[in-house]
Amino acid sequence: MMDNPNAPSRTMAIALAFLAVIWVSPFAWLVSNSVDPLATGHLRLPAAVGPDNFLRAMSGNAARQFWNSMFISAGTATLTLIVASGAAYALSRLRIPGRNAFLWSLVLLRMLPPTGILVPIFFAAQGAGLLNNFGIIIALTVLNLPFAMLLLKNFFDSVPTELEEAAHVEGASLPTILWRVVLPMSRAGLAVVWFFSFTGAWNEFMFPLIFSRSEASFPMSIGLFSAFGRQGAIDYGYLSAFSIIYAAPAIAVYFLLRRNMNTGFAGVGVKG
Amino acid sequence: MTADKRAWVSPVLAKSLPVLLLVAVPAILFVGILLYFTAWALLFSFTDLELVGRKATEWSFVGLENYERLFSRRGFLESLWTTVTFTFFSAIVGQSLLGFTLAVALRSYRGPLKTAIEVSLMLGWLLPDIVAAFLWSATTSRSGLINQLLILPLGMEPVNFINDYPLTVVIIANIWKGTAWSYLLYSAALDNVPREVVEAAKVDGANGWQRVTRVILPIIRPHIGTNMLFITIWTFSYFPLIFALTGGGPGSQTEVLSIFLYKQSFGIGKLGYGSAISVAMLVIVGMLSLLYLRLLREPK
Repeated sequence: MMDNPNAPSRTMAIALAFLAVIWVSPFAWLVSNSVDPLATGHLRLPAAVGPDNFLRAMSGNAARQFWNSMFISAGTATLTLIVASGAAYALSRLRIPGRNAFLWSLVLLRMLPPTGILVPIFFAAQGAGLLNNFGIIIALTVLNLPFAMLLLKNFFDSVPTELEEAAHVEGASLPTILWRVVLPMSRAGLAVVWFFSFTGAWNEFMFPLIFSRSEASFPMSIGLFSAFGRQGAIDYGYLSAFSIIYAAPAIAVYFLLRRNMNTGFAGVGVKG
Repeated sequence: MTADKRAWVSPVLAKSLPVLLLVAVPAILFVGILLYFTAWALLFSFTDLELVGRKATEWSFVGLENYERLFSRRGFLESLWTTVTFTFFSAIVGQSLLGFTLAVALRSYRGPLKTAIEVSLMLGWLLPDIVAAFLWSATTSRSGLINQLLILPLGMEPVNFINDYPLTVVIIANIWKGTAWSYLLYSAALDNVPREVVEAAKVDGANGWQRVTRVILPIIRPHIGTNMLFITIWTFSYFPLIFALTGGGPGSQTEVLSIFLYKQSFGIGKLGYGSAISVAMLVIVGMLSLLYLRLLREPK
């Protein structure tokens, strides 16, 4: 390490270590409270270590909220992927004039703060009887679509058409080409879009805040919000354990798809 | 795009055009819904529509009244200023500058320190907004982590940061949460900078600062533009972290535009006025985007 002239100097290393400590300490607090059945909200070595908090955060209301979140997120990610990939492939392969301008204006339109379109969406959902988790899935898919299509079109652009032409000459039909050639080659792109949509929906707070009419349909974001927003003594142990369980899937999906993610970032950086 | 002589549809696809259109139908439908809702939001902004009561069904057009109200009543301009402060300090100064500094400092450095920083940055970024809000509200409360680790050992009275310095807490929380994105994007961009160019500048006697400002920055300018575009837009209309952390308060000290809009629309129930706020936000965000896109496109 000392031989590397690009390695940070000692001052730099100390500054970086300091920064790392700042970044990590909230997590240390979270973990120490979650394993401590007698947690008080202080950072300390747990007075006792036990799974009590996690057991409480995995049963009853908390468990139901977990499955509600899972339903919303997996549903949104899958629906987004299905709807976006078909259109993105068509936009990538057909030389429709102005398609890039079209996609970019959609993305720009999507920059409309979701709070803004919330009003018409709320009215439409109310009218259609969709003020529930299905409604959230549809609403989030509508909002995800522009960015998902842009990202997927860029990925499809990078799949060489020669392979498709060869398959065509061999007599393969379009569905076969899509299934056997295009999809396998754009797995990275598809995974990135699925991941983005899943975590986006998993974290989503505003739509459930407005759409969820009954406590039975609350996802974890609303569950956590209503628990720590409550007046009175805060149950730090339970909420810490709940937070860790709530954060785990989003983090796990990321590390599972890490390699694909990096490809995805490069794609966004270069083509964005 | 290679400039070949192919028509708008390649021979491979010519015969399967119906299939291709069929797979695009759901997307066309959904995009249609998005456009329809946007047009609706625009339309609502000229009405006195309300969430409940008589005006929920018998609304009427009021012309530009909602827009006049943006400037004549208290609330909007104050909220805009809060939003600009929040965006500037948390996204541009905090996330982008810190992310860039870290990316440069950790470039070509391998070791446990880099891993530790990268993992903790990523954890912050991956954490759901509401978990981050819970963490920061617990850390900055009177009995929280900062008081326990810094203020009490120094012999001072505990400070209720979340109440006394709400905007600062919200800004720091957002930097803590969002720096990973800028760091990753800048790291990827720095990998694209040819090592030889930097080495050559070094041989020519450029110091570290000059190598960054004269060599690296111009090369990765498009990435900086992209990143600024994304984080400015996100931060400008960011809602959950701030709402869960402070609810816009105390008073209206952290009431950024998205919270102001939410409260006007769903708290007070003035959907027409809320729509006007969202249109105003769209216009501001649109102008900012055009600014960044120019930065992005401009030839070297």
